[in-house]
Amino acid sequence: MSQETLSQPVVSLSTRQPQKKSSLFAGDTRLGWLLVTPALLVVLGMVGYPFLEAIRISFTDRMVGRGPGQFVGLANYEYIIGWPDFTEMVVRTVLITIVAVGLKTVIGLILATSLNQDFRGRDVLRGIFMLPWILPTYIIVLVWRWIFDGQTGLLNQVLMSWGLIENNIPFLAKPASAVAALIFVMVWKGYPFYALTFLAGMQTISAELYDAAKVDGAGRLARFRFITLPGLQQIMGVVILLSTIWTMNSLEIPMLLTGGGPSNATEVFPLLTYHLAMQNFRLGEGAALPIMMLPIVALLVLGVASYMDKEATE
Amino acid sequence: MTAAIDRIPNSVFRVISFAVITILFVMVLFPLYFMVTTSFKFESEIYSELTWIPRDPTLTNYRDAIVNFHIPLYLRNTLTVALTTTVIVVLISVLAAYSLTRLRFPGRAAMARGVLFVYLIPGSLMLIPMYLIIVKIGLKDSFSGLVVANMSFSVPFCTWLMMGYLRSISTEIEEASLIDGCTRMMSLRYIVIPLSVPAIITASIFIFNNVWNEYIFALVLAQDDAHKMISVGLANFYRSDYYMVGPMMAGSLIAMTPVVILYILAQRYVVTGLAAGAVKG
Repeated sequence: MSQETLSQPVVSLSTRQPQKKSSLFAGDTRLGWLLVTPALLVVLGMVGYPFLEAIRISFTDRMVGRGPGQFVGLANYEYIIGWPDFTEMVVRTVLITIVAVGLKTVIGLILATSLNQDFRGRDVLRGIFMLPWILPTYIIVLVWRWIFDGQTGLLNQVLMSWGLIENNIPFLAKPASAVAALIFVMVWKGYPFYALTFLAGMQTISAELYDAAKVDGAGRLARFRFITLPGLQQIMGVVILLSTIWTMNSLEIPMLLTGGGPSNATEVFPLLTYHLAMQNFRLGEGAALPIMMLPIVALLVLGVASYMDKEATE
Repeated sequence: MTAAIDRIPNSVFRVISFAVITILFVMVLFPLYFMVTTSFKFESEIYSELTWIPRDPTLTNYRDAIVNFHIPLYLRNTLTVALTTTVIVVLISVLAAYSLTRLRFPGRAAMARGVLFVYLIPGSLMLIPMYLIIVKIGLKDSFSGLVVANMSFSVPFCTWLMMGYLRSISTEIEEASLIDGCTRMMSLRYIVIPLSVPAIITASIFIFNNVWNEYIFALVLAQDDAHKMISVGLANFYRSDYYMVGPMMAGSLIAMTPVVILYILAQRYVVTGLAAGAVKG
């Protein structure tokens, strides 16, 4: 059962055939709009309107508890660009995202390949590997923060008890190790999703292809490169792009793990947005920052959409 | 290089595979193991030195979490919001997905395409305007405000998931029912919805989970105790310099129990929704 259900969505994503037009579909206009209206209202009212509000607010000097604010043109954008750490913050966000997504992809691929063999207890293992993905992010981050803690942290206790260190290491209080810890938690939480979707994709690849390749003398690496990877291309593309969007916009993990510190080493753009708006109460600047990052997100979203369209036409 | 990898005998390759799985497995269980054991330790033991098994198991942390930190209240709040959101979202989204995949009408194609784009709008962009709107309409510190905020990302997601499912199932039975004289609504009620039960369960689990696990909007929108979500309640244990590790681990285990149980009960549905990019990861 489980394997069939696993492969189902992978297939369903790619079976978007254009439906036959028949007289059965005539006269659907009124009912169609009627059924879609509640969802449309939610989207227009709770996504579309806030989205436009975000753009409008970004052109004002609005602050928390001080009325609607004045129109200030591009002042907020100029302020952010002119901010001494701006370039550094963008580079930091992009680098952390690339490293985290890269590691998730590689580890996900390795785990999926390892799990894509027949052995007893595989389904149980797969279930356990789902835990990081299924558990609340905030709990995972709080637990890792305690593990990495410099005073009473578990990692220090473990290293100490094994005699590997003599003094506590403040992992989250040093820039380099804080960034490493942030990426580590992102990867720990994220790679199971990659592994499980890749595994689902691998299981839709016909075993006959591998058998035929073996007969033709293709080695392990050749089979991986010329059968597994092309077979996974579609699903990998979608997963990596989606995950890049989510990783780049991840607020919870840096917020709860490091709060941006030490000395801004982990201050990524969603966190800076939060700090500007909710701690400094500068809503205009807080709204302007994610809008400035929107082109990057938009490119990624278009990438996802084009993958989906490719599926639809294939 | 190529030849080297290919020359590895299958048996060695299997050993390498198991080594990889074992290392990752230990990494997954390490924090979870210490969450459980720490929740049964006295504070003095937690801070003094490493113990793999609680020296003197105690339920103090659980009592602390339940009595002093209002965990049951937060759980009830979260359950209210999560259930309400799930029911409303599933209802709205199933109707929309049916309309967008089965009915032909002008504007359908554009809306069907738009669903994905709306789903992918980053939360960091929505945070400030959503906060201001919720405050403006007087829903700050209310369950309704939290339901509204959660609906904003759940409706596009659930509609997208349901559309993918409806596209993948055959329309033959539906067409036959229409030829036999069913109206569209009858066909939806008696054929499409019963056929979609697996997808509806999958979607419900993901929505419930997302609301249960949501932290940022919960933090910004509901500060008062009467409406505080469990995520905010637990993260507060870490506020000060003094970490209440024991009660926090106990509270976290209590908070994640419903999620884990739900997931075990419905594992096959969860796996189904995986490749649909169901939960942000």
